[in-house]
Amino acid sequence: MHIVDGALSLPVVAGGAVLAVGGLAVGLKSLTMEKIPAAGVLSATFFVASLIHVPIGPSSVHLIMNGLAGLVLGWAAFPALFVGLLLQAVFFGFGGVTVLGINAVNIALPAVMVFYLCRRGVASSSPLVSALWGALGGGLAIVFTTCFVALSLALSGEEFLPAAKLVFVAHIPVMVVEALITGAAVYLARRVKPDLFNSLATSNIARSSGSL
Amino acid sequence: MMMSRLFSACALACLLSAPFSAPAWAHKVIASVYAEGDVIAGEIGFSNGDMAPDAVVEVFDPAGNRLGEARTDADGAFTFRPSQKVPHVFRSNLGAGHVAEVTMEVEDLPAMGGAVAQGAAPASTAGGAVVASSQGAPASALSMDEQEKILSGVVQKQLLPLRRELAAYKEKNDIQSILGGIGYIFGLFGLGFYIAARRKLAQVPTQAVADPSSHSPQKG
Repeated sequence: MHIVDGALSLPVVAGGAVLAVGGLAVGLKSLTMEKIPAAGVLSATFFVASLIHVPIGPSSVHLIMNGLAGLVLGWAAFPALFVGLLLQAVFFGFGGVTVLGINAVNIALPAVMVFYLCRRGVASSSPLVSALWGALGGGLAIVFTTCFVALSLALSGEEFLPAAKLVFVAHIPVMVVEALITGAAVYLARRVKPDLFNSLATSNIARSSGSL
Repeated sequence: MMMSRLFSACALACLLSAPFSAPAWAHKVIASVYAEGDVIAGEIGFSNGDMAPDAVVEVFDPAGNRLGEARTDADGAFTFRPSQKVPHVFRSNLGAGHVAEVTMEVEDLPAMGGAVAQGAAPASTAGGAVVASSQGAPASALSMDEQEKILSGVVQKQLLPLRRELAAYKEKNDIQSILGGIGYIFGLFGLGFYIAARRKLAQVPTQAVADPSSHSPQKG
């Protein structure tokens, strides 16, 4: 999932960096004081989850957990996931520093998309319904991420369909596992702290509408 | 508070399960090259121990000029015969964003064919006799040059597992760096929290002072 240094052409890397800076700016703006602890914990979750590898066929894939980060944080998932990626690049050499921007976009933008697609469902009054929406969001985030990775490879000259197929098929188990984990996490959060998604999401909305 | 407790439990669960998946958590591409006789031998694989079979390895000089190419065998190993005394950059695209790149510096290059033959030839007869007296009959049949070749072959073979282990060790993610990374994350977000809190605290007294005065309409 982490594209390494040198795999992408320069325009793609530069475009990714520009998009990432934009996302970071919006994300930092929406990172209210109430959200900072949650962002830190989700950033750490992402950092550690990427070390858990699921062996599949000749290769292995790892968990990402960007769906959960997106559902809880919205745009603030951008800085949270960016910090995780930066430290992974520095500590373990996952990805690389030059491709940090495009990797951040590939992983954090799906999180934001899932936030907008699923936040209404997750805020549903029934915990079971919101858990199902959470599972959908967790799985969708990986689907979007694989598409973005394939797209960035395609823009760098690789054939889109074979690359997309390869990345997508390898990540089907990850989609299932993340859907289950995200669903369970949303269910648990709804039981022990029913207003988690509401309060953070509405504070996000209130803030962004206030700044307009 | 409840929610952060929930997530720290989640993070802890991930953390605790991480060491048990240790052998398989690698995802990175590893490439290593070393001199073997008069060729450069190399290996390309993933850090979980899988090798990259039948991959094209392109060889460049530092300026990006193509020097040639090699192809890995079923075990991910390849050899390349260098012809120029420049740093060699080996590059292989394994698809799906995996690119292996490794550089061999000039001083690590294997001895080029011509130089070895010149240096070894005159010494072979004298050296052969000395070794023969101490080692007995079988050694005397071999020239110094051949002995050297056999010896270097044996040493190469002995060093190979060690070299692999070293490469694997370099890629190891130990629990210390994982904990260190988590520490950095919490520290960083703690710093952000401190800055946010300070900004908020700085606002409070000015508001409290300003509220009775004419600034109150600005609120909200």
